[in-house]
Amino acid sequence: MKTGKQSGTRGLYAGTVLSNNQIRSCFWKIILAMDSPGSQAFATTNPGQFAEFDLSTVSIPPSDTIPEHLRDASARQILLRRPFSFSDVSISYLSEGVCTKIEVIYCVLGPATVRMTTLKKNDQVSILGPLGNGFWYPKDLKNALLVSGGIGAPPILHLAGFLKQHYPDICVTAFAGAKNVDKIPFHVRIGNKTGIVIEDFERLAIPAFLSTDDGSGGRKGFVTESLRQWIRANRPLSGQTVLYACGPEAMLAECAKIAEEEGILCQVSMERMMACGIGLCQSCAVQIAPIEAEQPRYKLCCKEGPVFDSRTVAFTNGRR
Amino acid sequence: MNKEIKDSTVQMEINFAGIQIANPVFLASGTCGYADELSNFLDMSDLGGLVTKSITLKPRAGNPPPRIVETDSGMLNAIGLANLGLDAFIREKIPILEQLKTAVFVNVAGQTIDEYRAVIDQLAALKAIDGFELNISCPNVKQGGITFGTDPQLVEKITYAAKKSCGSKPLMVKLTPTVTDISATAQAAVQGGADALSLVNTFTAMVIDIETRKPVLANRTGGLSGPAIKPVAVYLVHKVYTDVARKAGIPILGMGGIRTASDAIEFLLAGASAVAIGTVNFIQPNAAESIVKGMHAYCQNHDIFRISELTGGLQ
Repeated sequence: MKTGKQSGTRGLYAGTVLSNNQIRSCFWKIILAMDSPGSQAFATTNPGQFAEFDLSTVSIPPSDTIPEHLRDASARQILLRRPFSFSDVSISYLSEGVCTKIEVIYCVLGPATVRMTTLKKNDQVSILGPLGNGFWYPKDLKNALLVSGGIGAPPILHLAGFLKQHYPDICVTAFAGAKNVDKIPFHVRIGNKTGIVIEDFERLAIPAFLSTDDGSGGRKGFVTESLRQWIRANRPLSGQTVLYACGPEAMLAECAKIAEEEGILCQVSMERMMACGIGLCQSCAVQIAPIEAEQPRYKLCCKEGPVFDSRTVAFTNGRR
Repeated sequence: MNKEIKDSTVQMEINFAGIQIANPVFLASGTCGYADELSNFLDMSDLGGLVTKSITLKPRAGNPPPRIVETDSGMLNAIGLANLGLDAFIREKIPILEQLKTAVFVNVAGQTIDEYRAVIDQLAALKAIDGFELNISCPNVKQGGITFGTDPQLVEKITYAAKKSCGSKPLMVKLTPTVTDISATAQAAVQGGADALSLVNTFTAMVIDIETRKPVLANRTGGLSGPAIKPVAVYLVHKVYTDVARKAGIPILGMGGIRTASDAIEFLLAGASAVAIGTVNFIQPNAAESIVKGMHAYCQNHDIFRISELTGGLQ
């Protein structure tokens, strides 16, 4: 049985694009097949781990197809790699060996992701990974509560599939939040009576609760309000329940608070501006609790995270 | 001449400030950690040397995030000399550095001259260390750093003091480009007893978020590095070479935006004896290997028998 955290040997590998399609609004999904050594390295990827993609040589789309609000940003040159977590990693065993496919859901929001939309079948991408520490699974885990906010969804989806595959006895419940209906990064459909159905969770037979800040999809309000209500109604046993969260920092801070109040464990996947992904540049600092004004303490998101025990993080509540 | 014989005749080895090194390619301070993070990607013995992340007497947490932001063909960083401090460095990193078959320079930083000396005093006798790089040019800390590096009198004073602690090991002084006349600070370092000069450190710079009207970096300013600064760095290396280093007979470790072997050759022609690669390590952690190979190939193609012949070869 898998124990979580880290996986195969990190390295520089090539991924071949199998497909790259828009899911909805600004969200796209790309699927890549790793080369042979990369397939070995990524075969045991743990949800919450990530990889750094080199998109610097990817061509820019025709200017009339670039959304107005991204035109200026798109004109900028790209130098650094971009970190992405996975929404799924799947392995097939072929006669010539293992082939690992990685799936990434990305939001088109800047010069790199604008370019990323032009990648097409058979294009090659240089991929550095697998990197960082993923989620982990305590021995007594019976209830996994998955919370995603906005583009924090991919590693939560990866985790959902992973738990279903490797821990079929664990009861998984998902809570997905977004600003509005356009910012839901999932495959969805409008159900007959139930409103919006998140097909990615439905496919895994995982009950999922959707919230949007403006009420344009699912319940109106923050995803953490749904979560709190559910916990109060269902009273999961504290020693057997883990809250897994990825999303905006204010959401993660609220999840940590709920977990503390309810006496349950909480793992948060953090995001930081990052250059190398391997601990060289020291840029992705996450402040560690307790906050001491004299000498703050930091851990590196890339190397010691991106998944942290929420009790160890000093959240900045969304402050940049 | 057949190709194989020709290959073997390129001498990549150089003498840098009294140390024999396998080739003129270093990894720049702050971009290669303490070598341990790169072991999956690079055989360190393929390099000329490396310069460690800055070491200060006491551990430093560094600046709050965001600490980096990308710009056109470059990036700004404001890490704030985050490091584990001298004691932990000796305990945890020296055993790793001891195993390396490459030259190791330790980058030393501090807030006072005494702090610089205290660090060097404790490291000078260690076999794992081949030399020191004096960081008097960090743009991202409030005390020390660049405040030393912009005043020629202070540069001379701190270099002189640090050199006394180095014993027989060479002292390299890292210069900031954020001065009116870099030759003046270079000259001051030479007068203070520097055995080598390394340049350039990053350029103080700023990126503004026009929505929030705030600087992107928590430190407000950061140091610009990457290909964006390369032509300026080449010029400054050439200036220091012609104004100071050639006459003084001391080598330059040239750096600033090197991404390819061709970039590295430019620095040698401008007057550098060796080069350091920095930002590119964040993108291609094995970049040094292809740069060494490319420089070797350049020498073959241009009938250069010793790579040291290229230094200052600008026509």
